[in-house]
Amino acid sequence: MAEENHPRVTINFEFRRKLDEIVGGDHHSYCYQCGACVAQCPAARYNDSFNPRTILQDTILGREDVLLAKDSPIWLCTNCYSCYERCPQDVRPIEVIVALKSLAVAKGVAPDAVASMTENITKAGVSGIITPAVQKIRERLGLEPLGEYPVDEMLKLLED
Amino acid sequence: MKLAPFYGCMIPIKYPQMEAAFRRTMPNLGVELVDLEGFTCCPDPIFFKTKGVLDWLTVAARNLCVAEEQEADLVTLCSGCTATLKEARFLLAEDESLRDRVNERLKRVGKEYKGTVKVEHAVVVIRDEIGIDKVRESVVRPLDGLKVAIHYGCHLLKPSQIMHVDDADYPSILENLIRAIGAEPIGHDMTLLCCGKGCMDDDMPIEMIFDIFSSIRDAGADCMGLICPTCFSSFDLGQILVGRKKDTKFDIPVIYYFQLLGLAQGIPPEDLGLHLHKVKADKILSSLGVVAGAPPAPAA
Repeated sequence: MAEENHPRVTINFEFRRKLDEIVGGDHHSYCYQCGACVAQCPAARYNDSFNPRTILQDTILGREDVLLAKDSPIWLCTNCYSCYERCPQDVRPIEVIVALKSLAVAKGVAPDAVASMTENITKAGVSGIITPAVQKIRERLGLEPLGEYPVDEMLKLLED
Repeated sequence: MKLAPFYGCMIPIKYPQMEAAFRRTMPNLGVELVDLEGFTCCPDPIFFKTKGVLDWLTVAARNLCVAEEQEADLVTLCSGCTATLKEARFLLAEDESLRDRVNERLKRVGKEYKGTVKVEHAVVVIRDEIGIDKVRESVVRPLDGLKVAIHYGCHLLKPSQIMHVDDADYPSILENLIRAIGAEPIGHDMTLLCCGKGCMDDDMPIEMIFDIFSSIRDAGADCMGLICPTCFSSFDLGQILVGRKKDTKFDIPVIYYFQLLGLAQGIPPEDLGLHLHKVKADKILSSLGVVAGAPPAPAA
């Protein structure tokens, strides 16, 4: 058998095992590459460098270098859940992508915006910033002022 | 009927007009709203979930515990909160060992998730529990002739395995709610397209918003009607920014369903906070014969 007709494929199972430990990452091995996820994917329609099927293919091969690169396509996902809706294998591709994103966050290669978006929640218990201007608008609308959120209780849950 | 709303963050902080509209319209459907104490951010299903899926799930489970302790099913006003809380419920019911891991963490704050409360978006509660007839009966000023382009957003419908709301490809829930207030739902090609807010790319959402608003303009709609504050944040200011980049002006007001309902119930537009939107609804209001300018009355 000529080597050039059957190029050697290396699978990084260690990476896949890591993904299996993350909630939502563990369904990736069900993927049989049918491409049903691609047809309705808005990110694939609007950007040629995004394709949920090839992301799953790279995942099955354990291509950590591609998936967790600084410019990984995973960040182009719009989180619309069409792939989850379409997938006949219950791969839940969006959840695999979210799991990949969380590995990127842990590795320190996620876009800065991700950290700043979550920082508010861990600081204040809510995603927005409650300013005096916000309270004034609420007052004018006849709404009660916003109080404190149980952030300490939430932070206890986030300790490892 | 008593309902316990989960307002989330974006609505009370960024778009309190949506909260005001909800608080003012629901009593007219015979609903008493009961505010529960002790919630945090749902937490958000896009960025916070990326930070750590188990963290996201545990914080969501804590919010569900707060509702369980007060034996109250939750009604959500934001598609993001709906997605997080319903997916958390689904995952915790599906996987017992996962529920044990989450409960192990919840022990630190003296809580335990049991799975005893339901979560539904307000429009689903109206359709399934309150009844669309109640909406019809509450109308004193039908929005006759108002053409509303519905934007469903993604998270109300998908994944249908979890959301159980409607056919994700041919939904009708919002069309029926729009008809109930006398307005006309206008179909267009991009009605189910994602708003693009969850995407970390700069260019893609611009193209998506441009396509959605071009499609609405071509369909001849007077406004866009929606139920999600995240989609609103893409579209209200977004259509102005995209218009500048593309050298066009859409001028299509984006209106939360409960604001439309409030107009049909005869509530003054100021009380519904329509003046807080970047794209003003003045043209619609004058064609409906609504006079703006009365001072807001206190909300329920």
